[in-house]
Amino acid sequence: MSTATETGALIEHLFRHQAGRMVAYFTRLFGPAHIDLAEETVQQAMVRALQTWPYQGVPENPGAWLFRVARNSAIDAIRRDKSLAGDEALAEMTSADSSPSDPLIEEQLRDDELRMIFMCCHTDLSRETSVALSLKTVGGFSVREIARAFLSEDTAVAQRLVRAKRQIREHGMSLDMPTGDELKRRLDSVLEVIYFIFNEGYAAHEGQDLIRQDLCTEALRLGSLVAASSISTPRVHALVALMALQAARLPARVDQAGDLVLLEKQDRNRWDRSLIGLGFYHFDQSMAGDEVTEYHAQAAIAATHARAGDSESIEWPLILEFYDQLFAMNPSPVVALNRAVAVAKVHGPAQALAEIKQLEQEQKLQQYYLLLAVRGHLLLELGRAAEAADNFRAALELPCSEPERRFMRRRLDACEAPLASK
Amino acid sequence: MSLYMLLLYDDPKHWGTLSPEEMQKAVEKYGAWTKKSFTKDSARLAEDVGRVLRRPKGGQARSTDGPYSETKEVLGGYYTIEAANYEEAVKLALEHPHLEYGGTIEVRQVWGT
Repeated sequence: MSTATETGALIEHLFRHQAGRMVAYFTRLFGPAHIDLAEETVQQAMVRALQTWPYQGVPENPGAWLFRVARNSAIDAIRRDKSLAGDEALAEMTSADSSPSDPLIEEQLRDDELRMIFMCCHTDLSRETSVALSLKTVGGFSVREIARAFLSEDTAVAQRLVRAKRQIREHGMSLDMPTGDELKRRLDSVLEVIYFIFNEGYAAHEGQDLIRQDLCTEALRLGSLVAASSISTPRVHALVALMALQAARLPARVDQAGDLVLLEKQDRNRWDRSLIGLGFYHFDQSMAGDEVTEYHAQAAIAATHARAGDSESIEWPLILEFYDQLFAMNPSPVVALNRAVAVAKVHGPAQALAEIKQLEQEQKLQQYYLLLAVRGHLLLELGRAAEAADNFRAALELPCSEPERRFMRRRLDACEAPLASK
Repeated sequence: MSLYMLLLYDDPKHWGTLSPEEMQKAVEKYGAWTKKSFTKDSARLAEDVGRVLRRPKGGQARSTDGPYSETKEVLGGYYTIEAANYEEAVKLALEHPHLEYGGTIEVRQVWGT
Protein backbone atom coordinates (compact mmCIF):
# COMPACT_ATOMS: atom_id res chain seq x y z
CA MET A 1 0.00 0.00 0.00
CA SER A 2 2.75 2.36 0.90
CA THR A 3 4.22 4.53 -1.78
CA ALA A 4 6.84 6.26 0.34
CA THR A 5 10.46 5.65 -0.48
CA GLU A 6 12.18 2.42 0.53
CA THR A 7 13.67 3.87 3.68
CA GLY A 8 10.42 5.27 4.95
CA ALA A 9 11.87 8.78 4.87
CA LEU A 10 9.58 11.70 4.17
CA ILE A 11 10.43 15.10 2.73
CA GLU A 12 12.70 16.77 5.25
CA HIS A 13 10.81 18.82 7.85
CA LEU A 14 7.49 17.94 6.17
CA PHE A 15 5.57 17.75 9.45
CA ARG A 16 7.12 20.91 10.80
CA HIS A 17 6.44 22.97 7.70
CA GLN A 18 3.02 21.48 7.18
CA ALA A 19 2.19 22.28 10.80
CA GLY A 20 3.17 25.92 10.30
CA ARG A 21 1.09 26.52 7.23
CA MET A 22 -1.91 24.63 8.57
CA VAL A 23 -1.86 26.58 11.84
CA ALA A 24 -1.86 29.77 9.77
CA TYR A 25 -4.76 28.51 7.66
CA PHE A 26 -6.93 27.52 10.62
CA THR A 27 -6.04 30.64 12.55
CA ARG A 28 -7.47 32.69 9.71
CA LEU A 29 -10.65 30.61 9.70
CA PHE A 30 -11.11 30.53 13.49
CA GLY A 31 -9.76 34.05 14.03
CA PRO A 32 -6.47 35.00 15.75
CA ALA A 33 -8.10 34.79 19.18
CA HIS A 34 -8.25 31.03 18.66
CA ILE A 35 -4.67 30.23 17.72
CA ASP A 36 -4.68 27.57 20.43
CA LEU A 37 -7.54 25.75 18.79
CA ALA A 38 -5.82 25.98 15.41
CA GLU A 39 -2.67 24.49 16.92
CA GLU A 40 -4.63 21.76 18.62
CA THR A 41 -6.46 20.87 15.41
CA VAL A 42 -3.15 20.49 13.59
CA GLN A 43 -1.56 18.55 16.42
CA GLN A 44 -4.44 16.09 16.45
CA ALA A 45 -4.12 15.47 12.72
CA MET A 46 -0.45 14.65 13.20
CA VAL A 47 -1.17 12.32 16.09
CA ARG A 48 -3.70 10.61 13.86
CA ALA A 49 -1.00 10.12 11.25
CA LEU A 50 1.25 8.59 13.88
CA GLN A 51 -1.43 6.16 14.88
CA THR A 52 -2.36 5.22 11.34
CA TRP A 53 0.66 5.27 9.07
CA PRO A 54 2.66 2.64 10.94
CA TYR A 55 -0.07 0.15 10.08
CA GLN A 56 -1.55 1.40 6.80
CA GLY A 57 1.65 2.77 5.33
CA VAL A 58 2.42 6.38 4.46
CA PRO A 59 -0.19 7.81 2.07
CA GLU A 60 0.83 8.91 -1.39
CA ASN A 61 0.55 12.58 -0.54
CA PRO A 62 1.26 12.87 3.19
CA GLY A 63 0.83 16.64 3.25
CA ALA A 64 -2.63 16.41 1.68
CA TRP A 65 -3.59 13.65 4.09
CA LEU A 66 -2.68 15.77 7.10
CA PHE A 67 -4.51 18.75 5.69
CA ARG A 68 -7.65 16.74 5.01
CA VAL A 69 -7.75 15.18 8.47
CA ALA A 70 -7.15 18.53 10.17
CA ARG A 71 -9.79 20.20 8.05
CA ASN A 72 -12.36 17.55 8.87
CA SER A 73 -11.79 17.95 12.57
CA ALA A 74 -11.97 21.74 12.19
CA ILE A 75 -15.32 21.38 10.44
CA ASP A 76 -16.54 19.22 13.32
CA ALA A 77 -15.33 21.80 15.83
CA ILE A 78 -17.18 24.59 14.03
CA ARG A 79 -20.36 22.54 13.77
CA ARG A 80 -20.21 21.92 17.50
CA ASP A 81 -19.57 25.57 18.29
CA LYS A 82 -20.96 27.96 15.70
CA SER A 83 -19.32 30.94 17.38
CA LEU A 84 -15.91 29.72 16.20
CA ALA A 85 -16.32 30.72 12.60
CA GLY A 86 -18.90 32.09 10.24
CA ASP A 87 -20.70 30.29 7.45
CA GLU A 88 -18.19 31.65 5.02
CA ALA A 89 -15.31 29.86 6.73
CA LEU A 90 -17.32 26.67 6.92
CA ALA A 91 -18.17 26.95 3.24
CA GLU A 92 -14.51 27.46 2.39
CA MET A 93 -13.55 24.34 4.28
CA THR A 94 -16.33 22.13 3.03
CA SER A 95 -15.89 23.22 -0.59
CA ALA A 96 -15.12 20.37 -2.95
CA ASP A 97 -11.91 18.45 -2.68
CA SER A 98 -9.59 21.15 -1.45
CA SER A 99 -6.25 19.57 -0.82
CA PRO A 100 -2.87 21.30 -0.65
CA SER A 101 -1.95 19.82 -4.02
CA ASP A 102 -4.67 21.98 -5.52
CA PRO A 103 -2.81 25.09 -6.80
CA LEU A 104 -5.46 27.40 -5.38
CA ILE A 105 -5.20 25.91 -1.91
CA GLU A 106 -1.43 25.96 -2.20
CA GLU A 107 -1.61 29.67 -2.90
CA GLN A 108 -4.06 30.20 -0.05
CA LEU A 109 -1.76 28.38 2.39
CA ARG A 110 1.22 30.50 1.33
CA ASP A 111 -0.84 33.62 1.71
CA ASP A 112 -2.03 32.55 5.18
CA GLU A 113 1.51 31.81 6.24
CA LEU A 114 2.62 35.23 5.12
CA ARG A 115 -0.21 36.93 7.03
CA MET A 116 0.71 34.91 10.07
CA ILE A 117 4.36 36.03 9.95
CA PHE A 118 3.21 39.62 9.68
CA MET A 119 0.95 39.24 12.69
CA CYS A 120 3.66 37.49 14.72
CA CYS A 121 6.00 40.39 14.00
CA HIS A 122 3.49 43.04 15.03
CA THR A 123 5.37 46.09 16.29
CA ASP A 124 3.45 45.97 19.59
CA LEU A 125 5.16 42.67 20.40
CA SER A 126 8.72 42.50 21.72
CA ARG A 127 11.46 41.03 19.54
CA GLU A 128 11.81 37.91 21.69
CA THR A 129 8.07 37.41 21.61
CA SER A 130 7.92 37.77 17.83
CA VAL A 131 10.76 35.29 17.43
CA ALA A 132 9.17 32.68 19.68
CA LEU A 133 5.72 33.19 18.22
CA SER A 134 6.96 32.98 14.62
CA LEU A 135 8.87 29.78 15.28
CA LYS A 136 5.97 28.23 17.14
CA THR A 137 3.11 29.09 14.82
CA VAL A 138 4.66 29.53 11.37
CA GLY A 139 7.76 27.44 11.89
CA GLY A 140 6.09 24.45 13.53
CA PHE A 141 8.71 24.32 16.29
CA SER A 142 7.64 23.05 19.70
CA VAL A 143 8.16 24.95 22.94
CA ARG A 144 10.93 22.54 23.87
CA GLU A 145 12.67 23.01 20.53
CA ILE A 146 12.51 26.79 20.78
CA ALA A 147 13.87 26.64 24.32
CA ARG A 148 16.71 24.37 23.20
CA ALA A 149 17.53 26.55 20.21
CA PHE A 150 17.79 29.66 22.36
CA LEU A 151 19.36 27.90 25.33
CA SER A 152 16.46 28.95 27.50
CA GLU A 153 13.94 27.24 29.78
CA ASP A 154 10.81 25.51 28.49
CA THR A 155 8.66 27.33 31.02
CA ALA A 156 10.05 30.72 30.03
CA VAL A 157 9.24 30.10 26.36
CA ALA A 158 5.81 28.71 27.22
CA GLN A 159 4.97 31.74 29.35
CA ARG A 160 6.16 34.09 26.63
CA LEU A 161 3.82 32.38 24.17
CA VAL A 162 0.87 32.53 26.56
CA ARG A 163 1.45 36.25 27.05
CA ALA A 164 1.81 36.75 23.30
CA LYS A 165 -1.49 35.06 22.60
CA ARG A 166 -3.14 37.16 25.27
CA GLN A 167 -1.73 40.29 23.63
CA ILE A 168 -3.07 39.14 20.28
CA ARG A 169 -6.54 38.76 21.80
CA GLU A 170 -6.47 41.95 23.84
CA HIS A 171 -5.07 44.14 21.08
CA GLY A 172 -7.44 42.51 18.61
CA MET A 173 -4.56 41.81 16.24
CA SER A 174 -5.74 40.56 12.90
CA LEU A 175 -4.35 38.62 10.00
CA ASP A 176 -5.17 41.44 7.62
CA MET A 177 -2.08 42.65 5.84
CA PRO A 178 -1.18 46.17 6.92
CA THR A 179 -0.96 48.90 4.30
CA GLY A 180 1.03 52.07 3.68
CA ASP A 181 3.51 53.11 6.36
CA GLU A 182 2.37 50.38 8.70
CA LEU A 183 3.20 47.80 6.05
CA LYS A 184 6.68 49.27 5.72
CA ARG A 185 7.23 49.23 9.50
CA ARG A 186 5.89 45.72 9.79
CA LEU A 187 8.00 44.46 6.91
CA ASP A 188 11.09 45.88 8.62
CA SER A 189 10.11 44.07 11.79
CA VAL A 190 9.54 40.82 9.88
CA LEU A 191 12.98 41.05 8.28
CA GLU A 192 14.64 41.83 11.60
CA VAL A 193 12.98 38.82 13.21
CA ILE A 194 14.01 36.55 10.33
CA TYR A 195 17.58 37.83 10.43
CA PHE A 196 17.70 37.39 14.19
CA ILE A 197 16.58 33.76 13.83
CA PHE A 198 19.19 33.19 11.13
CA ASN A 199 22.01 34.66 13.20
CA GLU A 200 21.10 32.57 16.21
CA GLY A 201 21.35 29.50 14.04
CA TYR A 202 24.47 30.66 12.25
CA ALA A 203 26.24 31.25 15.55
CA ALA A 204 25.62 27.62 16.52
CA HIS A 205 28.73 25.55 16.80
CA GLU A 206 29.65 22.03 15.93
CA GLY A 207 28.66 19.73 18.72
CA GLN A 208 25.80 21.97 19.70
CA ASP A 209 22.25 20.89 19.26
CA LEU A 210 21.34 20.47 15.61
CA ILE A 211 18.13 22.30 16.35
CA ARG A 212 20.10 25.52 16.27
CA GLN A 213 21.18 24.89 12.71
CA ASP A 214 17.54 24.29 11.84
CA LEU A 215 17.05 27.96 12.65
CA CYS A 216 19.09 28.92 9.56
CA THR A 217 16.93 26.70 7.37
CA GLU A 218 13.77 28.13 8.84
CA ALA A 219 14.94 31.75 8.48
CA LEU A 220 15.83 31.09 4.87
CA ARG A 221 12.43 29.51 4.26
CA LEU A 222 10.57 32.43 5.83
CA GLY A 223 12.70 34.93 3.95
CA SER A 224 12.05 33.17 0.66
CA LEU A 225 8.34 33.15 1.41
CA VAL A 226 8.32 36.93 1.90
CA ALA A 227 10.59 37.45 -1.12
CA ALA A 228 8.22 35.48 -3.35
CA SER A 229 5.19 37.49 -2.27
CA SER A 230 3.72 40.56 -3.90
CA ILE A 231 4.89 42.82 -1.06
CA SER A 232 8.54 41.95 -1.52
CA THR A 233 11.02 44.79 -1.91
CA PRO A 234 14.70 44.81 -2.90
CA ARG A 235 15.73 44.72 0.76
CA VAL A 236 13.88 41.43 1.22
CA HIS A 237 15.91 39.96 -1.62
CA ALA A 238 19.09 41.38 -0.10
CA LEU A 239 18.35 39.63 3.18
CA VAL A 240 17.61 36.31 1.49
CA ALA A 241 20.78 36.66 -0.62
CA LEU A 242 22.83 37.34 2.48
CA MET A 243 21.38 34.37 4.37
CA ALA A 244 21.71 31.97 1.43
CA LEU A 245 25.32 32.96 0.70
CA GLN A 246 26.31 32.65 4.35
CA ALA A 247 24.43 29.40 4.87
CA ALA A 248 26.21 27.99 1.79
CA ARG A 249 29.48 28.15 3.71
CA LEU A 250 28.21 26.31 6.77
CA PRO A 251 29.40 22.84 5.64
CA ALA A 252 32.96 24.13 5.18
CA ARG A 253 33.13 26.08 8.41
CA VAL A 254 34.65 23.20 10.33
CA ASP A 255 37.01 20.50 9.13
CA GLN A 256 36.77 16.73 9.60
CA ALA A 257 38.14 17.05 13.11
CA GLY A 258 35.48 19.58 14.01
CA ASP A 259 37.97 22.44 14.04
CA LEU A 260 37.12 25.91 12.81
CA VAL A 261 38.38 26.85 9.38
CA LEU A 262 38.93 30.50 8.49
CA LEU A 263 36.87 31.72 5.57
CA GLU A 264 39.96 32.13 3.38
CA LYS A 265 41.15 28.62 4.05
CA GLN A 266 37.81 26.90 3.58
CA ASP A 267 37.52 24.16 1.00
CA ARG A 268 35.29 25.91 -1.50
CA ASN A 269 34.18 22.56 -2.91
CA ARG A 270 32.29 22.03 0.31
CA TRP A 271 30.20 25.15 -0.15
CA ASP A 272 26.60 24.42 -0.98
CA ARG A 273 26.28 25.21 -4.71
CA SER A 274 22.50 25.36 -4.75
CA LEU A 275 22.45 27.89 -1.91
CA ILE A 276 25.07 29.98 -3.68
CA GLY A 277 22.88 29.91 -6.79
CA LEU A 278 19.88 30.94 -4.72
CA GLY A 279 21.95 33.68 -3.08
CA PHE A 280 23.08 35.17 -6.38
CA TYR A 281 19.56 35.01 -7.78
CA HIS A 282 18.25 37.09 -4.88
CA PHE A 283 21.31 39.32 -4.95
CA ASP A 284 20.44 40.25 -8.53
CA GLN A 285 16.85 40.89 -7.51
CA SER A 286 18.02 43.11 -4.68
CA MET A 287 19.62 45.50 -7.17
CA ALA A 288 16.26 46.71 -8.49
CA GLY A 289 15.66 50.26 -7.35
CA ASP A 290 17.97 52.67 -5.53
CA GLU A 291 17.51 51.34 -2.05
CA VAL A 292 20.73 50.34 -0.30
CA THR A 293 20.32 48.76 3.10
CA GLU A 294 22.57 47.04 5.60
CA TYR A 295 21.34 43.77 4.15
CA HIS A 296 22.58 44.92 0.74
CA ALA A 297 26.05 45.73 2.06
CA GLN A 298 26.31 42.43 3.91
CA ALA A 299 25.00 40.49 0.93
CA ALA A 300 27.56 42.25 -1.27
CA ILE A 301 30.36 41.19 1.08
CA ALA A 302 29.15 37.60 1.11
CA ALA A 303 28.73 37.65 -2.68
CA THR A 304 32.28 38.92 -3.18
CA HIS A 305 33.59 36.06 -1.09
CA ALA A 306 31.43 33.56 -2.95
CA ARG A 307 32.54 34.88 -6.33
CA ALA A 308 36.24 34.34 -5.66
CA GLY A 309 37.43 31.04 -7.10
CA ASP A 310 40.10 30.67 -4.45
CA SER A 311 41.42 32.60 -1.48
CA GLU A 312 44.02 34.38 -3.64
CA SER A 313 41.40 36.01 -5.80
CA ILE A 314 39.22 37.52 -3.08
CA GLU A 315 38.68 41.17 -3.98
CA TRP A 316 39.55 42.70 -0.63
CA PRO A 317 39.43 46.35 -1.77
CA LEU A 318 35.83 45.78 -2.87
CA ILE A 319 35.00 44.08 0.39
CA LEU A 320 36.49 46.99 2.31
CA GLU A 321 34.33 49.37 0.30
CA PHE A 322 31.21 47.42 1.28
CA TYR A 323 32.32 47.42 4.90
CA ASP A 324 32.69 51.21 4.70
CA GLN A 325 29.11 51.41 3.42
CA LEU A 326 27.92 49.05 6.11
CA PHE A 327 29.71 50.99 8.82
CA ALA A 328 28.17 54.24 7.56
CA MET A 329 24.73 52.70 8.03
CA ASN A 330 25.49 50.81 11.20
CA PRO A 331 28.52 52.16 13.08
CA SER A 332 28.62 49.32 15.59
CA PRO A 333 31.82 48.03 17.17
CA VAL A 334 31.21 44.54 15.80
CA VAL A 335 30.99 45.89 12.24
CA ALA A 336 34.15 47.93 12.90
CA LEU A 337 35.97 44.83 14.08
CA ASN A 338 34.99 42.87 10.99
CA ARG A 339 35.96 45.83 8.83
CA ALA A 340 39.41 45.81 10.43
CA VAL A 341 40.07 42.39 8.95
CA ALA A 342 39.45 43.83 5.48
CA VAL A 343 41.62 46.87 6.33
CA ALA A 344 44.47 44.53 7.18
CA LYS A 345 44.15 42.81 3.81
CA VAL A 346 44.10 46.06 1.87
CA HIS A 347 46.29 48.43 3.88
CA GLY A 348 48.28 46.04 6.01
CA PRO A 349 48.06 44.83 9.62
CA ALA A 350 49.61 47.97 11.13
CA GLN A 351 46.77 50.21 9.98
CA ALA A 352 44.18 47.66 11.02
CA LEU A 353 45.77 47.51 14.45
CA ALA A 354 45.59 51.28 14.75
CA GLU A 355 41.89 51.25 13.87
CA ILE A 356 41.14 48.49 16.34
CA LYS A 357 42.77 50.53 19.08
CA GLN A 358 39.72 52.79 19.19
CA LEU A 359 37.52 49.76 19.82
CA GLU A 360 39.30 48.67 22.95
CA GLN A 361 37.26 50.98 25.14
CA GLU A 362 33.95 49.72 23.74
CA GLN A 363 31.88 48.26 26.52
CA LYS A 364 30.19 45.92 24.06
CA LEU A 365 33.48 44.27 23.11
CA GLN A 366 34.91 43.87 26.60
CA GLN A 367 33.83 40.27 26.91
CA TYR A 368 34.15 39.53 23.20
CA TYR A 369 36.98 37.10 22.52
CA LEU A 370 37.08 38.02 18.83
CA LEU A 371 38.54 41.46 19.51
CA LEU A 372 41.53 39.85 21.21
CA ALA A 373 41.72 37.10 18.62
CA VAL A 374 41.79 39.57 15.75
CA ARG A 375 44.39 41.71 17.53
CA GLY A 376 46.50 38.63 18.19
CA HIS A 377 46.26 37.71 14.54
CA LEU A 378 47.37 41.17 13.39
CA LEU A 379 50.26 41.31 15.87
CA LEU A 380 51.45 37.91 14.72
CA GLU A 381 51.41 39.11 11.13
CA LEU A 382 53.59 42.03 12.21
CA GLY A 383 55.99 39.56 13.77
CA ARG A 384 55.19 40.70 17.34
CA ALA A 385 54.74 37.13 18.51
CA ALA A 386 55.01 37.74 22.26
CA GLU A 387 52.29 40.40 22.27
CA ALA A 388 50.17 38.25 19.98
CA ALA A 389 50.47 35.37 22.43
CA ASP A 390 49.28 37.60 25.28
CA ASN A 391 46.17 38.43 23.29
CA PHE A 392 45.35 34.82 22.48
CA ARG A 393 45.90 33.88 26.11
CA ALA A 394 43.53 36.64 27.23
CA ALA A 395 40.99 35.60 24.58
CA LEU A 396 41.06 32.05 25.93
CA GLU A 397 39.86 33.42 29.27
CA LEU A 398 36.66 34.71 27.69
CA PRO A 399 33.53 32.74 26.90
CA CYS A 400 33.70 30.98 23.54
CA SER A 401 32.91 27.61 22.04
CA GLU A 402 35.13 24.55 22.21
CA PRO A 403 36.13 24.68 18.50
CA GLU A 404 36.95 28.38 18.92
CA ARG A 405 39.04 27.56 21.96
CA ARG A 406 40.95 24.89 20.04
CA PHE A 407 41.45 27.34 17.18
CA MET A 408 42.98 29.94 19.47
CA ARG A 409 45.19 27.37 21.15
CA ARG A 410 46.59 26.53 17.71
CA ARG A 411 47.20 30.22 17.09
CA LEU A 412 48.88 30.47 20.45
CA ASP A 413 51.14 27.55 19.51
CA ALA A 414 51.98 29.38 16.30
CA CYS A 415 53.09 32.42 18.33
CA GLU A 416 55.35 30.28 20.42
CA ALA A 417 56.92 28.41 17.50
CA PRO A 418 60.00 30.30 16.25
CA LEU A 419 59.18 29.81 12.57
CA ALA A 420 55.54 30.58 13.07
CA SER A 421 53.56 30.66 9.89
CA LYS A 422 50.04 31.92 9.70
CA MET B 1 8.71 -20.43 9.45
CA SER B 2 5.81 -19.54 11.68
CA LEU B 3 3.55 -16.53 11.94
CA TYR B 4 3.51 -14.30 14.97
CA MET B 5 1.19 -11.53 15.94
CA LEU B 6 2.60 -8.42 17.50
CA LEU B 7 -0.06 -6.60 19.46
CA LEU B 8 0.90 -2.98 19.98
CA TYR B 9 -0.38 -1.12 23.01
CA ASP B 10 0.24 2.54 23.63
CA ASP B 11 -0.97 5.57 25.48
CA PRO B 12 -2.40 7.84 22.76
CA LYS B 13 -1.89 10.90 24.96
CA HIS B 14 1.84 10.38 24.78
CA TRP B 15 1.98 11.24 21.09
CA GLY B 16 0.55 14.66 21.75
CA THR B 17 3.70 15.63 23.62
CA LEU B 18 5.94 15.26 20.57
CA SER B 19 6.80 18.16 18.28
CA PRO B 20 5.92 17.88 14.58
CA GLU B 21 9.58 17.21 13.82
CA GLU B 22 9.72 14.44 16.41
CA MET B 23 6.48 12.99 15.09
CA GLN B 24 7.95 12.85 11.61
CA LYS B 25 11.01 11.03 12.95
CA ALA B 26 8.72 8.53 14.65
CA VAL B 27 6.67 7.98 11.50
CA GLU B 28 9.85 7.37 9.54
CA LYS B 29 11.15 4.86 12.06
CA TYR B 30 7.89 2.95 12.10
CA GLY B 31 7.82 3.07 8.32
CA ALA B 32 11.33 1.65 8.03
CA TRP B 33 10.45 -1.26 10.32
CA THR B 34 7.19 -2.01 8.53
CA LYS B 35 8.96 -2.27 5.20
CA LYS B 36 11.08 -5.21 6.35
CA SER B 37 10.28 -8.35 4.40
CA PHE B 38 9.17 -10.34 7.47
CA THR B 39 6.08 -8.14 7.90
CA LYS B 40 3.15 -9.99 6.36
CA ASP B 41 0.19 -7.96 7.46
CA SER B 42 -0.70 -5.03 9.65
CA ALA B 43 -3.84 -3.20 10.66
CA ARG B 44 -4.76 -0.38 12.91
CA LEU B 45 -7.73 -0.63 15.22
CA ALA B 46 -10.21 2.22 15.48
CA GLU B 47 -9.56 4.67 18.30
CA ASP B 48 -12.79 3.88 20.10
CA VAL B 49 -11.79 1.25 22.64
CA GLY B 50 -15.11 -0.46 22.08
CA ARG B 51 -17.17 -2.51 24.49
CA VAL B 52 -16.65 -5.83 26.18
CA LEU B 53 -19.35 -8.45 26.21
CA ARG B 54 -19.81 -10.76 29.21
CA ARG B 55 -22.51 -13.00 30.64
CA PRO B 56 -22.30 -13.12 34.41
CA LYS B 57 -23.17 -16.46 35.93
CA GLY B 58 -26.90 -16.95 35.75
CA GLY B 59 -27.45 -13.45 34.38
CA GLN B 60 -28.05 -11.68 31.11
CA ALA B 61 -25.26 -11.00 28.63
CA ARG B 62 -24.08 -7.41 29.07
CA SER B 63 -21.70 -5.12 27.35
CA THR B 64 -19.49 -2.78 29.31
CA ASP B 65 -17.02 -0.14 28.30
CA GLY B 66 -13.72 -1.39 26.98
CA PRO B 67 -11.41 -3.12 29.37
CA TYR B 68 -8.87 -0.42 28.98
CA SER B 69 -10.81 2.50 30.33
CA GLU B 70 -9.03 2.12 33.65
CA THR B 71 -5.56 1.91 32.17
CA LYS B 72 -3.77 4.37 29.96
CA GLU B 73 -2.62 1.90 27.32
CA VAL B 74 -4.90 0.74 24.56
CA LEU B 75 -4.42 -1.84 21.82
CA GLY B 76 -3.69 0.35 18.83
CA GLY B 77 -3.04 -2.20 16.12
CA TYR B 78 -1.23 -5.36 15.19
CA TYR B 79 1.34 -6.77 12.82
CA THR B 80 1.69 -10.31 11.57
CA ILE B 81 5.31 -11.23 11.04
CA GLU B 82 7.12 -14.34 9.90
CA ALA B 83 9.93 -15.79 12.00
CA ALA B 84 11.74 -19.12 12.45
CA ASN B 85 10.73 -19.41 16.09
CA TYR B 86 9.42 -17.44 19.03
CA GLU B 87 12.87 -16.20 20.04
CA GLU B 88 13.47 -14.76 16.61
CA ALA B 89 10.06 -13.12 16.61
CA VAL B 90 10.88 -11.50 19.93
CA LYS B 91 14.23 -10.38 18.60
CA LEU B 92 12.59 -8.71 15.60
CA ALA B 93 9.95 -7.11 17.80
CA LEU B 94 12.63 -5.74 20.13
CA GLU B 95 13.86 -3.60 17.24
CA HIS B 96 10.47 -2.04 16.82
CA PRO B 97 10.43 1.73 17.46
CA HIS B 98 7.18 1.33 19.38
CA LEU B 99 9.24 0.37 22.42
CA GLU B 100 11.41 3.46 22.06
CA TYR B 101 8.27 5.59 22.16
CA GLY B 102 7.04 4.03 25.38
CA GLY B 103 4.63 1.51 23.91
CA THR B 104 4.20 -2.16 24.80
CA ILE B 105 4.31 -5.11 22.38
CA GLU B 106 2.78 -8.49 23.05
CA VAL B 107 4.20 -11.30 20.89
CA ARG B 108 1.97 -14.32 20.20
CA GLN B 109 2.44 -17.20 17.83
CA VAL B 110 -0.43 -17.88 15.46
CA TRP B 111 -1.48 -21.44 16.29
CA GLY B 112 -0.73 -24.06 13.71
CA THR B 113 1.76 -22.01 11.72
